[in-house]
Amino acid sequence: MPVIFHIPGPLREFTGGRGKVEVEVEIERSPATVAEALSALYAVYPGVRDRIATEQGQIREHINVFIGAEDIRYTGGLMSRISSGVEISIVPAVSGG
Amino acid sequence: MIGQVLGHCRVVAKIGEGGMGVVYRARDEVLHRDVALKVVGTNMRPDSSSSQDLLREARASSALAHPNICTIYEVGEAEGQLYIVMELVEGKPLRALIGEAGLPAESVLRYGVQIASALVRAHDKGIVHRDLKSANVVVSAEGLVKVLDFGLAKRIGNEVLEESTLSLEALQEKSTISGTLPYMAPEVLRGEAADYRSDLWALGVVLYEAASGRLPFKGQTAFEVSSAVLRELPLPLGAPVPPGLWAIIQRCLAKEPTQRYQRAGEVQAALEAVQSNVIFSGDSGGDRGGGPARTTVFHGVRHVHVRKGDFLLLVGTLKGAFLLRSNAQRKRWEVGGPYFHGQAVYAMAYDGRAGQRRIWLSTQGYWGTFPRYSDDFGKSWTNPQEAPIRFPQDTGLSLKNIWQIALGRPEEPGVLYCGVEPAALFESRDSGESWSLVRGLFNHPHRPRWVPGNGGLALHTIVLDPEERRRMYVAISAGGVYRTDDGGGTWTAQNQGIRVMFMPVKYPEFGQCVHKIAMHPSRPDRLFLQNHFGLYRSVDRGGSWTEIANGVPSDFGFAMVMHPRNPDCVYIVPVESDEFRCACDGRLRVYRTRNGGASWEPLSRGLPQKGAYETVLRDAMAVDSFDPAGIYLGTRSGQIFGSMDEGKNWQKILEGLPAVVCIRTAAVEEAGASRPVSREQSSPNSSRTKSTATRKSGRGKS
Repeated sequence: MPVIFHIPGPLREFTGGRGKVEVEVEIERSPATVAEALSALYAVYPGVRDRIATEQGQIREHINVFIGAEDIRYTGGLMSRISSGVEISIVPAVSGG
Repeated sequence: MIGQVLGHCRVVAKIGEGGMGVVYRARDEVLHRDVALKVVGTNMRPDSSSSQDLLREARASSALAHPNICTIYEVGEAEGQLYIVMELVEGKPLRALIGEAGLPAESVLRYGVQIASALVRAHDKGIVHRDLKSANVVVSAEGLVKVLDFGLAKRIGNEVLEESTLSLEALQEKSTISGTLPYMAPEVLRGEAADYRSDLWALGVVLYEAASGRLPFKGQTAFEVSSAVLRELPLPLGAPVPPGLWAIIQRCLAKEPTQRYQRAGEVQAALEAVQSNVIFSGDSGGDRGGGPARTTVFHGVRHVHVRKGDFLLLVGTLKGAFLLRSNAQRKRWEVGGPYFHGQAVYAMAYDGRAGQRRIWLSTQGYWGTFPRYSDDFGKSWTNPQEAPIRFPQDTGLSLKNIWQIALGRPEEPGVLYCGVEPAALFESRDSGESWSLVRGLFNHPHRPRWVPGNGGLALHTIVLDPEERRRMYVAISAGGVYRTDDGGGTWTAQNQGIRVMFMPVKYPEFGQCVHKIAMHPSRPDRLFLQNHFGLYRSVDRGGSWTEIANGVPSDFGFAMVMHPRNPDCVYIVPVESDEFRCACDGRLRVYRTRNGGASWEPLSRGLPQKGAYETVLRDAMAVDSFDPAGIYLGTRSGQIFGSMDEGKNWQKILEGLPAVVCIRTAAVEEAGASRPVSREQSSPNSSRTKSTATRKSGRGKS
């Protein structure tokens, strides 16, 4: 099923300059999860993986992932369910100093 | 017109016709040269007062001597005809060279750099082009670019604008729409004043057009074009346009001038960076598979132009890295950067082994921590697809930061080490292409009981024994000093005699918060140590330590570096207590021992001595290998001081930087040159690298 990712500027070097990419998620079991969608994204655009996630597979501390308008931290993390055509945004969090 | 004489030019033939009028080839009969003569059309003729302005401005722009600007020789009026005499440029308009699919990236970059360079000169002289477009750029057979009509559009441009925006009817024809309107910046269409940044917008349009063969903002009518310029985003340019070039175009085409590059020089530098990238890597974009991708840094970055014999300071800050270039005199400094602005650069190193000229650094930010290198002094940097330094899955740990990049021995130029947070050592044996965790240290039974200091649990210092190839030392906050004698297989704690303030047992086997250790290569048996409270020396390879805080205002501090030749000479910067962590009494003083720690003397001439609550962090001090030696320090307040006479007199080199966390030095030799041995063997730090202070200096939080 298709999933659309919104890619932030700093990562577009790894998506051929594209800010919006569509990837096909193979559904192994229904429903699919954000983790599966991210795996599909990494398969096509390997450079984004280590920017979004740590080597242990966790989303980086200051990176937020949204399904539509919902932060996945509040919807079950990487196991949050997604449906066909969903739009997932990767956004650096407000932080710093 | 043919045969007619205007001024002292005889019209020979008609070359073309543009928005401003007709252009002729003519012969200057006084100076005996062929020129282009533009007769301004009557519909473009300003009224008489404007005519005077036009003459004045054209004369001003005639002062623009630049290889990429078509020179204006003369502006005059004869027989009621306003005419402009200019350099005759042999070539084709860029517009005509761009095919349906656009030009190859190499050509776009080559032309783009030259157009940007022309804008740099004009803007420096206060002249805005206001009508930059692909039809106004001529490319010679040799690829030399000339930008036409500088300084003419400022006055005449108003007429064009009015025509474009008011007389929509006249613009219904496509030919006119493809003229000037698609290059106009949103603010110009809104009727606001055009400034330099409006030219940068137009440059973005030209680059887009050259790269893709199509205009970024199109429409069948002037209204549609204007609407697209004001509101729409251009279609993204994918392969084969390099992502770096696309990023530059996007920034030029930001709707708000404040969001664009602010100077043409920034665009030029950015284009040059992508250009060197494309040339060096042969990478013109497209899918990159799993191979390493190069990145370029183009946000307001100025590059240094390094030549053989130059001397560099590599400066890492909490918000990016800078390169400071000078020569052996070390009096004047050219500043490059910021590189990776917004990211913390805790570690830098210069690798001149085996004829390399490679700058290493680490970046830490939202998107993770990466080691990167540049072989062209900052113009392009590696941006690996996959993070090369990563904790194996079984460790359950994630890399937080790289605190130290240390070079291996000169005889093994492919070897590099990284000290990281959480505390661990990584090693590369293939010049940094791949890295592995040093398991011998990681599996040490003490490791679970190391505790983070204020700056985190970090392995921040790596010292190699220059004689015993299997021996090396690391320092961990807070874990203490560990030594291996078997190339990293096994490690033993070397902390006997080092006091801890924060545990009930004052002299534990390990757990010390060591801030820095230093060794002179000519005395590998002896180490100096700056502790979290306590200055120490060991004469038995770390086996036991003796206090040497003799006459310093505080035994707390971070930075510690060795003199390049004198093994008894050590430099430190004492700071007050672990809570305050600022220069004692508000006086920034370096302390030096020349007798191996028996006594210390303050060095303060030229350093701020009143209200200077400065902190010099763990790696923010470095020495060079000149004689007399240069000593450099950076502060958390973003100042860099240097002494070219071994600490006697100090000068401020730079201020206004983000908090400085790392300084390294580098003497640049010819690329491909093998290491000379004479001087380097007598000079300690550099015996293993040109980075003369790789293993000694200071940052601190632990």
